[in-house]
Amino acid sequence: MTRRPPRLLFRMLVVTFVTASVLIAVIFGAVAITTRRQVRQTVRTQLESGQRMIAEVQRRERIGLRLQAESAADSPTLKAAVDTWVAERRTATDSVRAQLHNTIAGELARMSGRVDADALIIVDTRHRTLAASGRLGNSWPIDSTVPIVGDRSTPDVDDGVIHSGQGLFRVVAAPLVVGDGAVVGTLYLASSLDERFAERLSALAQTATAIVSDRRLVATTLPHEARHSFESAVQHLTATDDTIVIAGESYAIRRLTDLGDTSLYALSSIDQSAGNALREMTTMLVFTAIGALSLALIGSIGLAHLLSRPIGELSGAISTITQTRDFETRIPLRGSSQELDTLTDTFNALMASVAAAEAETQAAYTAAIRGLAAALDARDPYTAGHSERVSALSVAMGRVMQLAPDDLEVLRLGALLHDIGKIGVPDDILRKPGPLTPAEYEVLQQHTQLGARILSTVPFLAPHIPIVELHHERPDGKGYPRGLRSDEIPLPARIVHVADAFDAMTSARAYRPERPVEEAIRELWACVESEFHEDVVMALVVAVTGRPAVRPLVAEQERLSA
Amino acid sequence: MCRHLAIIAALLLAGAAPYAEAPATGAIVGKVLLTTAIKGSGLPSTIYQPRAVARHQPTAAPEIGNVVVSLRGIAAPGPLNVSRREIRQVHEEFLPRVVAVTRGSTVDFPNADPIFHNVFSLASAATFDLGRYPMGRSKSATFTKAGVVKVYCHIHSQMSATIVVLDHPYFVTPEVDGTFRLADVPAGSYSIVGWHERVGERVTPITVPAGGTATVTLSLPVEDEP
Repeated sequence: MTRRPPRLLFRMLVVTFVTASVLIAVIFGAVAITTRRQVRQTVRTQLESGQRMIAEVQRRERIGLRLQAESAADSPTLKAAVDTWVAERRTATDSVRAQLHNTIAGELARMSGRVDADALIIVDTRHRTLAASGRLGNSWPIDSTVPIVGDRSTPDVDDGVIHSGQGLFRVVAAPLVVGDGAVVGTLYLASSLDERFAERLSALAQTATAIVSDRRLVATTLPHEARHSFESAVQHLTATDDTIVIAGESYAIRRLTDLGDTSLYALSSIDQSAGNALREMTTMLVFTAIGALSLALIGSIGLAHLLSRPIGELSGAISTITQTRDFETRIPLRGSSQELDTLTDTFNALMASVAAAEAETQAAYTAAIRGLAAALDARDPYTAGHSERVSALSVAMGRVMQLAPDDLEVLRLGALLHDIGKIGVPDDILRKPGPLTPAEYEVLQQHTQLGARILSTVPFLAPHIPIVELHHERPDGKGYPRGLRSDEIPLPARIVHVADAFDAMTSARAYRPERPVEEAIRELWACVESEFHEDVVMALVVAVTGRPAVRPLVAEQERLSA
Repeated sequence: MCRHLAIIAALLLAGAAPYAEAPATGAIVGKVLLTTAIKGSGLPSTIYQPRAVARHQPTAAPEIGNVVVSLRGIAAPGPLNVSRREIRQVHEEFLPRVVAVTRGSTVDFPNADPIFHNVFSLASAATFDLGRYPMGRSKSATFTKAGVVKVYCHIHSQMSATIVVLDHPYFVTPEVDGTFRLADVPAGSYSIVGWHERVGERVTPITVPAGGTATVTLSLPVEDEP
């Protein structure tokens, strides 16, 4: 089973679409990779700038807090109360101690409104809390030991982180100094490292932040479901890592500050940022792809038309020629492309040679048939040259009747072959000197159909068959073989019928001498409308005599015939 | 000067003893050892930085001058001699920073600085506020209860001084080399206390023989807490 090959247009569309799609896919892949890389870089840069900003803000905050702490620690009342409390804590009465303690607490409470701290704490020289106040003051129970933060080896570190109560605090300390440098206690300003702090940092850096202390997550602005994953992922984080995978999502991470066992991290989701950028890119690419594919569609349809229309026209012309066997027609050059014009030229040349071959074949056939007709005529000395004469006379009559050249050509060959069927008629009938018996006449009459059968074997002789078959039909329907009536008989057959009769009359026969032309014409006129058509007889008269024909009056006719 | 007065008083007391059938007395001699630097040690931490305020070089008074050695568990032999001492305010400091007096004594606080000063105390033994006064003026406070009285200046928070008020005359400030001598102490068993304003006190039992001399060495600082 063979499938019809696809149309040129379809093929072009497929090729164009596949090319465009592959191109777009490649571009999309490249853009996606580049975008992701750029986003990663951007996120990193963003984190870096966030880190710098936070570092600067924190530095200023720390300076501010230290100044606040120092100025608060300079309160004479506070110093006096603390120093006196330390001096008398074991000797004074309870009421005196309570009074001193109230003085300290009151002084702290008064200060708490003036400092940016969540808690103010006074510790004595034994590092035990004397008093605490502020928003989160109750995270610092009285008379509990406050761990010492910082490290002697790094004197720049002026603050530290303290776990106290439930909270984690970043503290700035200022000593209470009296006399010539003696320290009677220390004032701590503590800022809670809680969710609020993380959110504040987050707002500054515009990234997520996380506070990790002692390998535990203290506070973060990460989404709730990411916390546990982050807490376990941060255990394996090394100092050089700049990405971390949290709950399957890739984050850029940067350590902002290290304070002892506590670290602040800034985090930014690479996947989320890349996703956003990719979505925008995809939208843009989809529109571009639609545009490109539409252009490709229009372009390929146009191109296909440009190519397939001349080809279609050419093949249409060729198929018309093949069907009509009209090998004479030449296909005009379109000038649409060199290749097509060359093809057309070649085809035209091919057709010319085909036409030449056809003409040669026809000529050969015609010559053979003419020879056949001549041989037929030669069987009977009386009919020698009969076919040639009928042919010439018929063509002359056709000219008078103004037939087209093609019809004349058909007429000429048809007339030449009109008695070809007599090949099958036995000589004794054909050459019988006397009148034929009805049976013999019937055999003779069969020569028309026999001739038609012979001609039907040669395709290009088909137009001549009516002449051969019907040249004995009569307008009154008494002719043979079919007994057609006047208008049913084709014109060439009528012409050949008249020409045949005229030539028969003007030729000698074994049983009679030749009759003169005038007498023959009279005889024809006498049989007009019964045997012959009037216009055909008139044409014969014109052709034979060279004068305009006039039909004799009926009376004269009757007289003549009588 | 004051110390001389005290010695004179002690001598007078000693001289008066035979006439007043005074109990037999002995003497205590000893030495105070300051075993560590006790000044400005602060917290064992550098989590803060010292204030960068231009400060007067502290007076080159030896720290031993801020130590008071006294007896505990002894009563005064008779009416207390009161004295009048002076703590000057100079270079934004109280000078001397430690003064020991008998109950009922008075301390003057003359202002030698060209700025206002203030003297106040929150101590249970003597709570007072002398207010603010300029250079050349002096105000005084009389201490009627025994105890340690810390005084401060409301204007200059780093200024502080300590007045040790005692119920008896048996106290002394060591010499620069740390030695001290307490004479005319009634024979008996007591506690002798070495006290320093910052590092607390060292208490040692001591027995004073009649007509003899007891010897003791006090090592400071002592542990702040038992």
